Amino acid sequence: MAYLYNMKKVFFSLVCLLCVQVASAQKDSLAFDEGNNYIYYRVIDKPGLTADTLYKRGWDFATAFNPSARPAKGQAENTLNTSGKFLVYTGVSLMKKEGGQINYTINIQTKDQRYRYRISNFVFIPYQRDRFGNMVPIPGIEVPLEKMTAKYGKKETDNYLDQIGSFCISTGVKLKSAIDKQPAAKKAESIKKISTENW
Amino acid sequence: MKKRLLLLSFFVASVFAASAQDTTKADPPLMISGSVDTYYKYDFSKHSNLPTSFASDNNSVSIGMIDLALKKKVGKAAFVGELSFGPRGQAQSIPNGDDGNSFHIQNLYVSYDVTDKFNLTGGYMATFMGYEVISPVGNFNYSTSYLFTNGPFQNPGFKATYAFTSKVSLMAGIFNDSWNYYTSVNQVNTFGAQLMVAPVTGWTAYLNVLTGKLSGTEFDLTTSYQITDAFKLGLNAATFKAADAVGTGGFTGVALYPQLAVSKDVTLGLRGEYFKTKTGDYPTFGPTPGSSVFATTVTANIKAGPLTVIPEFRFDNNKSVNDGFISKSGAPTKNASQFVLAAVYAF
Repeated sequence: MAYLYNMKKVFFSLVCLLCVQVASAQKDSLAFDEGNNYIYYRVIDKPGLTADTLYKRGWDFATAFNPSARPAKGQAENTLNTSGKFLVYTGVSLMKKEGGQINYTINIQTKDQRYRYRISNFVFIPYQRDRFGNMVPIPGIEVPLEKMTAKYGKKETDNYLDQIGSFCISTGVKLKSAIDKQPAAKKAESIKKISTENW
Repeated sequence: MKKRLLLLSFFVASVFAASAQDTTKADPPLMISGSVDTYYKYDFSKHSNLPTSFASDNNSVSIGMIDLALKKKVGKAAFVGELSFGPRGQAQSIPNGDDGNSFHIQNLYVSYDVTDKFNLTGGYMATFMGYEVISPVGNFNYSTSYLFTNGPFQNPGFKATYAFTSKVSLMAGIFNDSWNYYTSVNQVNTFGAQLMVAPVTGWTAYLNVLTGKLSGTEFDLTTSYQITDAFKLGLNAATFKAADAVGTGGFTGVALYPQLAVSKDVTLGLRGEYFKTKTGDYPTFGPTPGSSVFATTVTANIKAGPLTVIPEFRFDNNKSVNDGFISKSGAPTKNASQFVLAAVYAF
């Protein structure tokens, strides 16, 4: 009887572990906009701050976030745009390697006591190994994120969507800390102390 | 049963714990990539006729190589070590050591990013010259061009690369006095340079030069343009003059590579190459000195995930009947043709 009880506990633990893994899929943070394009969109309330202050902090964030691209004023009032790229990986564990890069744009818009941002225009540029053993972009191949499933299949696309979701979430955290004028909270790593006197 | 379940749960937990640790790393992981390739070739003269590299065995299911590349970058410092085993990855593409054993090394170098735009690299490296490469993953056609076979494969040395913008970069370096050897014959005095320009999206061009007292002088243009999503055009042109210390002669050639994707998984391509040997005593893999050859290769790449199946038909036409091809009956002939079916798995 005790044996069966232990087995149940082991099964229950495994199911919990799998659920945690499934729940950690980051692609769900992305949505489709009106044009059926992938977008990461958030509206944040920031009581006590004017649109101008929020805009200036958003501009400072964009400048620091991607130093190689100067932000640009958007067409609408209190709007700014910036763009950038990041690497996405294919494979797992020892077989993990650069699968390509994702180009994106960030749009930030502010009004009194509120701001919103969207990360969108995701374009995948696949990488291939060059003669020197480095993974490099394939010139001239650019695949909009919305067309990736048709070109690379669902499994590969889901892998990249997860990484894009993670990037968007972490970018949102950085933007929030920049708007709040507070450095992003770092996890305090506690170092275990031991006594070497009594032994 | 209980032990097995506990072991399984421990394993699952370990995998998740390991992946959690991965996400905290700032540097990319050790990267492993490579390929395996195998082929069947049928030469219509019933013996191998073509002097170009690889796919050498007639009427045989043969192996190319297994290729394993390791790369690790920590901060600004990186290394690449690429090992290869098999006919394509040993005697057909790299030299042996003094004791006759193969070192199996295609690339072994270290590099350092001095800034985001300036990189220094030193060691034993694949050559920067030419359109085609040793790895079958890097080529569209399975058989290789005369320009590839007669050009350098590796250039050990030290090079500096500066990227002015993402569209213009310049590499200059000093390399061992002789191509394709792990050590110099005597000196490190071959100069090499590469100017890369990307005039428009999808179009890249490399102007290359390699010159030395022992290695000779080669000028090379390698360019490709992804004109539409489906159509790509590549071009390679080169001219080589042997060093006086080695002999007289050399070669000149041009190859055109149009490729058309007809579906998501199937691309058709053509290679048309004109290759001319210069008069002299410098040995080349091709027609006799002072003669020429025109080679046409029709290739399909059929992809199934990481696997590419490559059926290919090739027809070479020498200028003279005495340029090296032998017919089925054993008589000299101007023409040679072959069919290759290859499979390349990349990882």
